[in-house]
Amino acid sequence: MQKSDLDNANPTIFDVSQLPSRSQKKRSVRQGPDSKYDSILFPKHAWPWAGSKTTSTWPSDEEDDDGDDLRDDNFVEEPIDQQEIYDLISTISDPEHPHTLGQLNVVRLPDIHLSPSPAERSDPKCLSTVLVELTPTINHCSLATVIGLAVRARLEQALPPSYRVDVRMKDGSHAQDDQVNKQLADKERVAAALENDTLRGILEKMLETCA
Amino acid sequence: MAKPTARIEPLAALKPDLYQRAWQSVPHPTLPLLATTHANQVTVFSLSTLSQHSVLAGGHTRSVRSVTWQPAQPAGRLRLVTGSFDASAGLWTWDGTGAGAGAGGGETKLEMEITLDRVDEEEQQNEEEEWEFNLVLEGHEHEVKDVAFSPSGQYLATCSRDKSVWIWEDVGAADGDDEWETVAVLSEHDGDVKAVAWCPDVPGRAARGRYSADVLASASYDNTVRIWREDADGEWVCVAVLEGHDGTVWGMQWEPRPEGNKFPRLLTFSADATIRIWSLREEEEEEEKEGEGGSRLFRSGLGGIPNTMRRSMREDWDCTAVFSKVHTREIYSASWSAKTGIVASAGSDGIIALYREESETAAAAAAATTTTVEVTPESAWRVLGTVSNAHGPYEINHITWCKRFDPGAGERRGEEEMLITTGDDGVIRPWQVRIS
Repeated sequence: MQKSDLDNANPTIFDVSQLPSRSQKKRSVRQGPDSKYDSILFPKHAWPWAGSKTTSTWPSDEEDDDGDDLRDDNFVEEPIDQQEIYDLISTISDPEHPHTLGQLNVVRLPDIHLSPSPAERSDPKCLSTVLVELTPTINHCSLATVIGLAVRARLEQALPPSYRVDVRMKDGSHAQDDQVNKQLADKERVAAALENDTLRGILEKMLETCA
Repeated sequence: MAKPTARIEPLAALKPDLYQRAWQSVPHPTLPLLATTHANQVTVFSLSTLSQHSVLAGGHTRSVRSVTWQPAQPAGRLRLVTGSFDASAGLWTWDGTGAGAGAGGGETKLEMEITLDRVDEEEQQNEEEEWEFNLVLEGHEHEVKDVAFSPSGQYLATCSRDKSVWIWEDVGAADGDDEWETVAVLSEHDGDVKAVAWCPDVPGRAARGRYSADVLASASYDNTVRIWREDADGEWVCVAVLEGHDGTVWGMQWEPRPEGNKFPRLLTFSADATIRIWSLREEEEEEEKEGEGGSRLFRSGLGGIPNTMRRSMREDWDCTAVFSKVHTREIYSASWSAKTGIVASAGSDGIIALYREESETAAAAAAATTTTVEVTPESAWRVLGTVSNAHGPYEINHITWCKRFDPGAGERRGEEEMLITTGDDGVIRPWQVRIS
């Protein structure tokens, strides 16, 4: 974004070493589809997943033969936890500062909620909900919607399709909470926004810093 | 007497899979064809062969969100309108008269269908050549969300993120010209207009007061539904605002086969994960008078307001049912069967649910409507059955009842109904429903 006046010229920056992380690297971050462009255009639907283990983009580290009668859902059974979600989105760049959403404390580990929780998640067919509450750097941040969109796009691209992604502004953090939240929850508006070239350019740039 | 339950069983998916988000699958009003929107194109499937019939591509620069078949076309001609995120609506014609020549006029439905199947086979090599992109309807400022034809095919309604509903008239129909005129731009919604639906041509729909017979409903991001009618001066006016949903109203469907001469009810479904039924408050006495060409000037309920004034006033609509809650997330689609009266719903949670109206409670509710003005929204609708993970882990964007024409239907071909769901996985799946 070329802007002469930043919405927040002096944000608090956290050093990467201060950010929450696992004590030991457990596994590498999941990779989305091959082409970032496709993944933004059609998050989580752009690659051939149906019934083909060889072309699956998900690491196939377990047998999946529970006989789903509709199709072969080749998902990893290992539960995804809050830290993994954090790792996926904290590395997204802010659209106006040369820092990540983690460094700016827009994305916070305690504000990532998984339902059911990773421990309870026994049935692989059960849908999971990820709720991410964002805290924009100042309360009238005009780019809240863009940041929210980037978080939603990143998670829809990286998580298995059984995850429903809800992105909201943390209560009281943003002046137009309800409007922004409703817009981010609207599948049709999100889909249309991701077909907008200008917006897609901004999002691609924000997602470049993701592992 | 045991309460009936429904078994909802998957049939083989239509071929091919689309491998990308598909939004909507709309059956042709009479022929065994189904139009599915995905990316910036439409795939038409044959319901006889359950495989691809043709593709409409190259007309839109962004995703095609919605599609509607124009009813009452000459034999052999198919016509549909697409609504796209590129802010336009497109008019497409498939002229099968050349290939299917000799069929002549006065075809029965079945003959038409056979003709189409033959054409289908002949055209498989150059399937895209038959569809012609005739016209772009431009005017909306942002994404067109939905398109719908009035029962006669005379009017087309389009709606958009620009908060407006446009009504277009097919003025060139008589001369065979592609000439369309904008007859109304309705801008009363406070948010995106998500869907539009015309009241079907049923006996209860007759012209009322100073309004003509056509009735349009629109559903919006502003959580309301609006009802629109054309007055004697040819002006389209909002006659009612239906408030009650606590989230975006994703769409609605008019009651396909109302009881007797009742005005059709309206079914609405929402991001608030509920389904509601709305009914027009009809005063029977008044109707009789009007039916007799009544000259009654005053209406008791409004304490002596002259008829002419009253008639310019709004219609009263009440929420008369809220369905038992099944869905846990947004309901993107619901369909009300003309044959059985059963409602099917689907949405973000991947669940298909079927509901049927309980006749005794329905009768009680109807009695209550005539005696009191206040109607408690009480569910007279019972869940008949559900299916989870109907598209695996994916969201379901659309569900519709349609007639079954494949050989699997046996002798009931063209009569038996099935459900068709359209998902984010690009799978278009038919379902057999058995009530026992």
